Amino acid sequence: MLSLQHISKYYQVSGLKNYVLNDLSLEVDEGEFISIMGPSGSGKSTLLNVIGMLDDPSDGYHYFAGHAVHQLKEKQRSALYKQYIGFVFQAYHLIDELTVYENIETPLIYQDFKSSERKAMVADILDKFNIVGKKDLFPAQLSGGQQQLVGIARALIAKPKMLLADEPTGNLNSKQGEEIMELFRKLNREDKVTIIQVTHSEKNAEYGTRIINLLDGKIASSKKL
Amino acid sequence: MIKNYLKIAWRNILHNKVYSAINILGLAAGMAVALIIGLWVINEFSYDKFLPNYKQLYQVNLHFTTQREEHTQTALAIPLAEVLRKEIPGIKYVAETDWVGWQYHDLLVGTKKLYVGGGAAHPDFLKIFEYPFVKGSAKDAFKDPYSIILDQATATALFGNADPMNKIIRFDNQQNLKVTGIIKDIPKNATKQFSFLTPFAFKEQTEGWMKSARTTWTNNSFNMYIELQPGVTAEQIAPKIKNLVYQHSVQMRPAKPEVILHAMMDWHLYSDFKMGKPVGGFIDYVRMFSIIGILVLLIACINFMNLSTARSEKRAREVGVRKAIGSQRSDLIAQFLAESVLITFIASLFSIVFVQLALPSFNTVIGSSIAIPFANPLFWIGMLLYVLFTGLLAGSRPAFYLSSFNPVTVLKGTFKVGKAASLPRKVLVVLQFSCSIALIISTVIVYQQIQYAKSRPTGYSSERLMVTDMSGDLANNYDALKNSLISSGVVESVAAASSPVTNIYSHMSLDKWPGKAADEESVNIGAIFVSDNYFKTLGMTLKEGHDFSSKWSDDTTSVILNEAAIKRIGLKDPINKLVTWNGSSGPVRIIGVVKDALMESPFTPVAPAIFSHGRGGNNVMYRLAPNVNTQDAIKKINKIFDTYNPAYPYIYQFVDDEYNHKFNLEVLVGKLAGVFAGLAIFISCLGLFGLAAYVAEQRTKEIGIRKVLGATIANVWLLLSRDFILLVLISCIIASPVAFYFLQGWLQKYDYRISIGPGVFLLSALVAIIITMITISFQAIKAALTNPVKSLRSE
Ligand SMILES: Nc1ncnc2c1ncn2[C@@H]1O[C@H](COP(=O)(O)OP(=O)(O)OP(=O)(O)O)[C@@H](O)[C@H]1O
Ligand SMILES: [Mg+2]
Repeated sequence: MLSLQHISKYYQVSGLKNYVLNDLSLEVDEGEFISIMGPSGSGKSTLLNVIGMLDDPSDGYHYFAGHAVHQLKEKQRSALYKQYIGFVFQAYHLIDELTVYENIETPLIYQDFKSSERKAMVADILDKFNIVGKKDLFPAQLSGGQQQLVGIARALIAKPKMLLADEPTGNLNSKQGEEIMELFRKLNREDKVTIIQVTHSEKNAEYGTRIINLLDGKIASSKKL
Repeated sequence: MIKNYLKIAWRNILHNKVYSAINILGLAAGMAVALIIGLWVINEFSYDKFLPNYKQLYQVNLHFTTQREEHTQTALAIPLAEVLRKEIPGIKYVAETDWVGWQYHDLLVGTKKLYVGGGAAHPDFLKIFEYPFVKGSAKDAFKDPYSIILDQATATALFGNADPMNKIIRFDNQQNLKVTGIIKDIPKNATKQFSFLTPFAFKEQTEGWMKSARTTWTNNSFNMYIELQPGVTAEQIAPKIKNLVYQHSVQMRPAKPEVILHAMMDWHLYSDFKMGKPVGGFIDYVRMFSIIGILVLLIACINFMNLSTARSEKRAREVGVRKAIGSQRSDLIAQFLAESVLITFIASLFSIVFVQLALPSFNTVIGSSIAIPFANPLFWIGMLLYVLFTGLLAGSRPAFYLSSFNPVTVLKGTFKVGKAASLPRKVLVVLQFSCSIALIISTVIVYQQIQYAKSRPTGYSSERLMVTDMSGDLANNYDALKNSLISSGVVESVAAASSPVTNIYSHMSLDKWPGKAADEESVNIGAIFVSDNYFKTLGMTLKEGHDFSSKWSDDTTSVILNEAAIKRIGLKDPINKLVTWNGSSGPVRIIGVVKDALMESPFTPVAPAIFSHGRGGNNVMYRLAPNVNTQDAIKKINKIFDTYNPAYPYIYQFVDDEYNHKFNLEVLVGKLAGVFAGLAIFISCLGLFGLAAYVAEQRTKEIGIRKVLGATIANVWLLLSRDFILLVLISCIIASPVAFYFLQGWLQKYDYRISIGPGVFLLSALVAIIITMITISFQAIKAALTNPVKSLRSE
């Protein structure tokens, strides 16, 4: 489903190329649940952003769902992204001015769903995540775990084929983290959502089907579970 | 989608109350200024368009060229009318008139007397200008020479609710005229204003001097109007009429007369002529204030742009998130534009309220009757477009700027608004303040010019000096009137003259004088026929020679000239020299030279004038005795005038007021410039206030640390104020030469004008900087006073 070939990403710092991703290649099949680990600054978030097409690599080939992403224009990329990918952030990144309901609904608006469809889909996911009671609250009125649930619900609302999550449990206590991980596992197994998550926790990494270790912008090891 | 955008926009407005208030208030003020100027401009352009055929209507003018000057006048001789009527195809109607509107006459009905302005006109005048008749008709109204038509207001004033048709009005207490028509009151946005009209035939039959006017080509004392046939243009007619006066009148030839047409559409805005072409006039001011309106609106829009981009860090995360969940840049641009249009919409509602509140005073200041046309759907469509235009203008920069953020940097939290964003912001602030400061400078210069002209010595004393038209029986009773006024004790001195103090009604030509070169042209000279005591009453002083004697018959061959006339003809030792002018049959002797008095424009040099001793006159001048109570004195004087002129109401003017009217336009321009300058600086400061608040907030942590390290309040104040003051200084440097350039151009209109010194610019800079400091100091000091522990803990 995803293929990265010889991807490099560097920043020009005082004339020197500072490599964050260094000639990295990676194949991901549909239905995988990958955990990316590695020390701070090793390029995990950068890799995830590249996969999610939020960031451009400096070099290399990027294929996704049969498209050569490195050749696509901004508009096409955005369309591809909308169709396939959901993103979850460590810092939740909900829009403060919108209610839970509206936050979850927003991606659907960008994808031109009709109002009635949106209603049904949001109601469905609120129910699934057990947060119907919170739908009219604003992010500031929720706990961290609840906010992250909303963030995940928002990422999943448009039924993406692939979920990208950058330290989704980083700001949560271990119990909350476990619940999120259980949810991910369920999504992966029942709904066949391909998941790539970045995590610092060995325990959470174990929920995946493959663990990739990143070191200085290269894949140091990869092990299937 | 739009609904979603508006919802967010609305919540954003509520969330940031101070910021929203600044934005809305600033935009509302800017929009109100532009709206009120817009209404005013529309009103100015609406002049003379209430009549159905206005596009085909013209006034006939005459253009002269002499050695020293060229000029265009509306005064024409009657024979031209007949030629236009009979010989020029394409002209539908021609009407000769007197100075309609300026002819004051006494209308008497029973005990009611009105002294109002009107005129006499050929019957076709009513066909050319199709004033709507309430009673009677244009066709029949002037069938009988002894008829009169009134406007509704005058009819009501004379007859109350009774039907005025066919009633008799005693005209100047001499003739009986029958009311044959009532027209609707003439709207304010009409150049030609009058209360009554009589047939021109009536004037010709009853006024002695009119006897030969119909056949005299040199008696240029009348006005003329024409209507062209449908489809005929002025360009087609112009060559056919150009030389008519030249062809028909040998006497007129030396002045090279050319007959030209002045379109009714141009009367109000293009009334200044150069080389026989309407080149400008009030349109210059309309343009100037249109530009000011646009500038003030721009200043308000800049506020919005600056505050929005300044706050971009706050909005950046939202942009990042939205992009990360599938928003395209165009979605975001649309969202931000929707937001600015919503804010503009709210501001526009406030602006309508502001305009509604300001209109009464605005109308008083400029003497108009502008109202918001609430009932006109075009107004609402216009407002809608206005909101869209302003919203898109104000929102464009923030929208494009904010939507350009890269989601990765923004969400990583490493996002900082860089230099790239603050530079355009600084440029915009400078632009804003340059406009405001230029307006301040303009206001000061306009006022200086007015003050300068006002403080110019007039050469006479206007204190307690009053003027009344010499109407009805006054001329015959003049001596008795004068004696009664003096003996009443409230009047110090009385005189009569052919012109009031503040105007010169007639110009003659000074043809011969000692030392005149053979090829020298005659001098156009202001001619005033005065009673004895004239100079004494007006407080004018003789430089040489002596005043007229008290017996006018002794002085039939004596004249007094003003200094300007002596200088113009270059006469040394003028006393007892003989000169010839067309006011007397033979040569006359100069018995005195009077110091120049400012009777015409206070902005031009005093023109040559000749004074001749004569009876009669058009005006009575009298000075109140010192220390009398003005109200009581006027009551007493009123009684005396009533005794000698019972058929006429007593109407008077103070020369002071009349003189001040000469500054009406300049005072108006000064007032408007002042108000708009004030608003511009207010709006700019509002923006600055917002920016200062933002900067203070952004640097809270830095200020906290600095304070912990020992910075004083003054240090912090300086830190936060320095940048802004620098920007305002740069604005002063930009605004000064620009304002200088334009004002120098404006001053060229005036012969008597100030020279612009550096003082104004320094003063304006000082004012701008003080205002800036007050504006930002509030924020700076607030930030400086914040307990550093608090601001650091919250990090
Ligand atoms: N704009 C930038 N300019 C220069 N270097 C950058 C920039 N953005 C990121 N980097 C560098 O890229 C490297 C990788 O960053 P990245 O965020 O991918 O790390 P990470 O593995 O996610 O770390 P963490 O576990 O702390 O989140 C870091 O060393 C960082 O300094
Ligand atoms: Mg990271």
